[in-house]
Amino acid sequence: MKDIPKKPINQTITKFIISIVLIFLAIWSASGLEISLERLSKAPQLTWTLISALYPIDLSQEALDRIIPKVFESLYIAWTGTVIGAIFSFPIAFISAKNTSVSIKIPKFLTNKNYFIYSSQFMKQILNIVRAFPELLLAFVFLPITGLGALTGTLAIGIHSIGTLGKLSSEVIEGIDEGPLEAIKASGGSKSNELIFGVIPQVMPTIISYWLYRFEINLRASAVLGVIGAGGVGQELINQLRFRAFDRAGTVLVATIILVLSIDTVSGALRRRIIKGKSVTVEQN
Amino acid sequence: MNKLSTKIPKKPYPSPLIYLGAPLVLLFTRFSFNKIGFDWEKFKTNLDNRHIVTDPLFDPKWSWAIENTALPLIETIQIAILASLIGCFVALPISFFASKTTNPSIYTFALNKSFLNLIRTIPDLFWGMLFVAAVSQGPFAGVLALTMFSLAIMGKLLSETIDAIDPGPLEAARATGSSQQQTVFSSALPQVMPNFIAYFLYIFELCIRASVILGLVGAGGVGRIIETQRIFLRFDRISPIIVFILAIVIVIEQVSVYVRRKVL
Repeated sequence: MKDIPKKPINQTITKFIISIVLIFLAIWSASGLEISLERLSKAPQLTWTLISALYPIDLSQEALDRIIPKVFESLYIAWTGTVIGAIFSFPIAFISAKNTSVSIKIPKFLTNKNYFIYSSQFMKQILNIVRAFPELLLAFVFLPITGLGALTGTLAIGIHSIGTLGKLSSEVIEGIDEGPLEAIKASGGSKSNELIFGVIPQVMPTIISYWLYRFEINLRASAVLGVIGAGGVGQELINQLRFRAFDRAGTVLVATIILVLSIDTVSGALRRRIIKGKSVTVEQN
Repeated sequence: MNKLSTKIPKKPYPSPLIYLGAPLVLLFTRFSFNKIGFDWEKFKTNLDNRHIVTDPLFDPKWSWAIENTALPLIETIQIAILASLIGCFVALPISFFASKTTNPSIYTFALNKSFLNLIRTIPDLFWGMLFVAAVSQGPFAGVLALTMFSLAIMGKLLSETIDAIDPGPLEAARATGSSQQQTVFSSALPQVMPNFIAYFLYIFELCIRASVILGLVGAGGVGRIIETQRIFLRFDRISPIIVFILAIVIVIEQVSVYVRRKVL
């Protein structure tokens, strides 16, 4: 009988150390937050009490008249925010990708060698900074300028989307196949020909699917933004919960779930279709 | 010349749905922009109000922030650690049930899958509000909210990873007569473990970001301070907090990118 190779000993030690550290972190956090097992075990029961209070949801005409427009407002905010993000992030993605970035030559009298600055070097950092701010913090900043309402939410979501979409799109552009670009160069195409016929057809399906994906995320974000009064359904939920009108809060919750689920389904199907493409039969000669 | 060239395949016509869909999308965009109500004149007059925010925002009060936000920041990190740990480890069995490769029973599969889909539709701050209503204000509500949040994300990511694993080891385990449970533990779990660790770090990052804003609805953490200072328009106190959070997020992101590269 052959010996089964033993597990390397340092792997076991690393696993052991990592689990000790994780357990220690969990205990440290739990004691810091004053969370005991007793409280944790009570939580499902309390949650169930809340859910059963939500259940016979309020479907009266008055409630629906209040809630349905708010739900749709969230949809409008998410869509316009995504459109703003898509329109602005598209050109930004090209100047922040390494292979399509614009170069600026440093004047001769500053350096003794030929030295170039590429736009990708600083655009990437700008996008990182934009991306780091959550939508809610952006909305704080816009509130005094644009007032309470949907516009604030739209601007916050739009700017955050520019950051995220710009980063994702520029990564797609960096990952393209260089072959078609070479072919265009070889047949005498200019730099802009390369961009239009070489880069854009390659990246467009992925980028559009990212736009749709962002729309799904923005829908959730716009629902949340109402909490600080930036339009959308969040305002309605927090008000109903504060007034202990649990049946109406249930209506808000169900309406949000229905909207998000249906948008997710439609956009997911579209994304799959865009990425897979239509099946084409090529005639062989 | 003509003999050599092969027939170039024709460009496929775009689907008729595009002719129908594109104008509809444009109309919807126009309609939503109208609904949002952008008024250029109003915007211009209100632009002077930006000084309310921008002037204090660039005049940060560091000493105040260091004195008052150290503990809530630690609380934020603790919420994120606890929530991502509980959420991810609860998600582990659920995602094995929510994948057809490891769960032969169609009923439990459908049950777990639809449970994951349902909790994924509710945004993080909504969970915060619901749990504040259920278990009262404080960081405990925040932990529960983020637990649901990380459970939803981990469930989706992990169950899709389990869908795509190599079925060979599973078959080998079944051929030796192991039970369903033994098969999952010996053949499926080791395959997805690196992904699980990578997703865990990613979710921990998301939780840190999310736990910052949870305080707005009274679910603990540094968001509580942000909310109270925001109401009094003390943006000079908020801006150092934002800087601290950015620093924490960037450090955690770098660490997790490093670990992910090592693991995968």
